[in-house]
Amino acid sequence: MKIVGLESLIFGVDDVRGAARFLVDYGLTPVDVSDRRGRFEAIDGTAVVIARQDDPALPPGPVPGCRLRKTVMGVADDATLGAIAAELRRDREVRRLPDGSIESIDDSGFVIGFQLAARRPFVLAGEISNAPGGVVFRPINSLGVPPPGSVIRPRSLSHVVYFVPDVVKAEAFYVNRLGFRCTDRFTGTGPFLQPGGSLDHHTHFLIGAPPHMHGVEHFTFHFGGPSEMITNGYRFVEKGYQAFWGPGRHILGSNWFWYFNSPFGCHIEMDADMDQHDASWQPREATVSADNSQTFLLKMRKKWYPGPGIPENGDYA
Amino acid sequence: MATTREAVPASWVHLCRADEIGEAQSRGFDADAEGQDSLFVVRWQGRLHGWRNACPHIGGAPMAWRRDAYLNAEGTRIVCHAHGAEFMPDTGLCVQGPCRGERLSRIELVVDTDGELFVKS
Repeated sequence: MKIVGLESLIFGVDDVRGAARFLVDYGLTPVDVSDRRGRFEAIDGTAVVIARQDDPALPPGPVPGCRLRKTVMGVADDATLGAIAAELRRDREVRRLPDGSIESIDDSGFVIGFQLAARRPFVLAGEISNAPGGVVFRPINSLGVPPPGSVIRPRSLSHVVYFVPDVVKAEAFYVNRLGFRCTDRFTGTGPFLQPGGSLDHHTHFLIGAPPHMHGVEHFTFHFGGPSEMITNGYRFVEKGYQAFWGPGRHILGSNWFWYFNSPFGCHIEMDADMDQHDASWQPREATVSADNSQTFLLKMRKKWYPGPGIPENGDYA
Repeated sequence: MATTREAVPASWVHLCRADEIGEAQSRGFDADAEGQDSLFVVRWQGRLHGWRNACPHIGGAPMAWRRDAYLNAEGTRIVCHAHGAEFMPDTGLCVQGPCRGERLSRIELVVDTDGELFVKS
């Protein structure tokens, strides 16, 4: 099944205006925003959609308190859409919506939708490192550090992470029914999952958790590279948003990460430079711990040299 | 809730004027000068309550989603914007989410006779 990735995530919120400002400050582009709802797009048109939590058009979340109401995936063609509908109709309701998409529910209670992928193709070079002996270099006189005031935008909706009460059952649904592959696994925690039409290390990560945790851990968009992503993160912090973990780089997936609190009852991440794998990749398995989640973690130091107005040791503790 | 004293020891940390925090509003304070708000104050049904900025569900996780934004839109619950835990503003009891039944750590507040808000240090 050629599921190419996440198309949109739909949240119900208690403060549309505040959530809208948050998403714009994150870097997304507002489309059709009102006091009741709004769509916020990355460069390729993948998006977060928000609506008032009492909007009758919103499907229910898996549990009360989970603000994610629907996960929409894009598929490559009508054949895939039909194959998914036929597969899921074997044991559950599949609704066809007026926009041509289909809607159903996964084995963990998350409402899922599938539509023909509508992401817009674009060409925009990612971050390039000038490495002696390398083959590809940045154009001469172009700068590696995004200059102040430069526009940084998320490129594409990357992945969502669910807390699920039965991770074996949850994984079986995505693998056996929808054709996802496990690319890597945290022992006793859960799998990183890649759909059949994507090379990304993961579009879904499942974490087995007690029933009262049922919901979302985080979601994230891909940025153009670590310098762009980290610059965007510092701008976000300067606007008053609360960092949670990062900036750093994960081991499984290799993606650079920076996590923030959000008004969606879960974390939001900024990520960049995730590994890509095909079907020949052999999944690794690791125990979950900080040592296995981050290969390094960066810290800003504003005062690092002696000079006028700066203590002898900078701000070294 | 905040208690009123005529004078406070010099070692206590001044936060702000008590009346700067309105009903159903919250505000964070970097009382330990760590570059990160260590506590926050909410006014609920007229009274001020101070809480450590540390969600009990995961190793002291900071709770706001934006500076000073510790409450839901209605101002009826303290919310941890890491994983959505909700707490009563006056008792700190978690009533929904991953740490249901646990409590926030209370910070003792003092308002002096001039209406200034302090925290013991």
